[in-house]
Amino acid sequence: MTDDASPGTGVPALQVVDVTLRFGGIRVLDGVSFEVAPRTVFGLVGPNGAGKTSLFNCISGHYHPGSGSILVDGVETRSTPAWRMARLGLARTFQHPALQLGETVLENVLLGAHSLLPGGPVSWSLRLPRTRTAERAARAEALELLERTGLRWAADTRAGELSHGLHKGVELCRALMSHPRLLLLDEPAAGLSHGEVDRFVETVATVRADLGLTIVVVEHHMGLISAITDRVMVLDHGAKLMEGTAAQAQVDPRVVEAYLGREVAEDEPA
Amino acid sequence: MAGALVRLRAARWSRPALALVVAVLLVLLPLVSSPYVNYQVTTMAVFAVALLGLNVVMGYAGQVSLGQSAFIGIGAYVAGYGTTHGWPLLLTFLLCCLLPGVVGMLVALAAARLRGLALAMVTIALPIVGTPVAKRLSDVTGGSQGLTVSWLDPPSWVALADDQWRYYVVVAIAAVVFLLTRNLVRGRVGRSFAIVRDNEAVALSMGISPYRTKVLAFTLASTIGGASGFLYLAVVQYTSPETLSFGTSINLVVAMVIGGSGSIAGAVLGAVYYVLVPVLAGQLDASRTALLSGAFLLLVLFVLPGGLVSLPRRVQQLLTRRRRRSATPSDDPGDRTGTPVLTSDGRTP
Repeated sequence: MTDDASPGTGVPALQVVDVTLRFGGIRVLDGVSFEVAPRTVFGLVGPNGAGKTSLFNCISGHYHPGSGSILVDGVETRSTPAWRMARLGLARTFQHPALQLGETVLENVLLGAHSLLPGGPVSWSLRLPRTRTAERAARAEALELLERTGLRWAADTRAGELSHGLHKGVELCRALMSHPRLLLLDEPAAGLSHGEVDRFVETVATVRADLGLTIVVVEHHMGLISAITDRVMVLDHGAKLMEGTAAQAQVDPRVVEAYLGREVAEDEPA
Repeated sequence: MAGALVRLRAARWSRPALALVVAVLLVLLPLVSSPYVNYQVTTMAVFAVALLGLNVVMGYAGQVSLGQSAFIGIGAYVAGYGTTHGWPLLLTFLLCCLLPGVVGMLVALAAARLRGLALAMVTIALPIVGTPVAKRLSDVTGGSQGLTVSWLDPPSWVALADDQWRYYVVVAIAAVVFLLTRNLVRGRVGRSFAIVRDNEAVALSMGISPYRTKVLAFTLASTIGGASGFLYLAVVQYTSPETLSFGTSINLVVAMVIGGSGSIAGAVLGAVYYVLVPVLAGQLDASRTALLSGAFLLLVLFVLPGGLVSLPRRVQQLLTRRRRRSATPSDDPGDRTGTPVLTSDGRTP
């Protein structure tokens, strides 16, 4: 257990070094490298099919790249199974919120506490005091997170009765329940209305400040990218096109070309 | 708003109250009813435990298992062997849980890598292989004739008949198994079962290994199945290769679906169905038992896809629909076919 991987010691929260991923003969990611400093928000942008979500899945352990290196808080995780990543302080959301629609919002959020709760099947079936205490604490924390994201009123509602925009908020709470240091957000703005995007940006800004999170976000919505990211990397055809601030990316001729083709720049696609 | 609060408070009290009423009835029942009724209710308790085990792996963790009868069979044989060799009762019971649990875990370590039909085929192998093996090992199992025992007679210090004593023993053990399982499926482990059933990608990102979770669910299911095998021998006093036959497994799956999968109460209702329907159908027309129980199965699945346990909710849905219709007089009788799910949609903010 190394505790010196905490922010401030100079170890990047996430290092991706020369990662290459192949599906059969197709090269999905081609020697991608970047670093994310602790407590910053890093954006992954690029046209459809650029490999953003694949890169994301490599970081979260759902895919295992053939070569390269991925370090979370300085720990090599390229071949770590995805289910061990939660304990390394990594949490993620999904492009299409994957909630259990028949369960209540509270139960959905509680799932996120899995890696922190103590005890196995025996102690849980006997309801040993420590499991009851831990469960009670987790419930209180889940309600507090819901309060913070403005969803406290929905705690006992079935998730299936909520709108898509609210699902994104519930999923964020679920991810935060595992006390992550590194949070991956996969297209958080997809399918949200303007007002919902603004509210989401606000929520992310507050939880980031309160919890000291490092965030990596995949997104098409340039407004959201500009609003929350410190740095962005633009991917195209599985390779890194440029890295810089969101403002730099939007005027970079290579980026404009990747999105719009070889013509005069117009408005960014929303 | 106040009405909702009253209903909420009523809901909070109605469950413990219901449980208390059921508990009192279960304690008093054998004292006032006939040995035949006691035998039937005890049998229900046996199969409720078997169905509970099946529910853990199929209903909660979502993994097909067509091998549950094998674990009941192993449990019953272990109990039979233990009884005939004079093992202490507690030791026999523990081995009845442990041995099927170990067999279930070993099978699951291989089978949990598979899913869907492939998994179903592997689990079918258990009863298919188990039946001839049980016939072959006649020294232990009594071969095709089976094993008849005479045990669990009431001790001299209780003034109870055989059927009453066995009723109390079986129902008490079943109640403990139900309580432990209920606790399990409500907390951390239960949530991991549910997410492995619903979405393995999310399970992974929550720090849950789907493979380990499935192995755990299979192991628990076979352990509980073994316990029900012990109870089976206690009630029936006889077991044969027929107990672990494939047909029993299929009937258990049917009963689980009819009772309500992924539900504790559903396991009890499924067991009532499992025991009662052949009896009732036999009274109507003994030669058409299979036909009548098949018709009942179709009827339940058609009217209550969520199983018997969803009956109260279904009735409530129908009532609210009717109330709404009378509140806003609709001259469109055609919308009677509308799905009830839609009625709750108006509440999204």
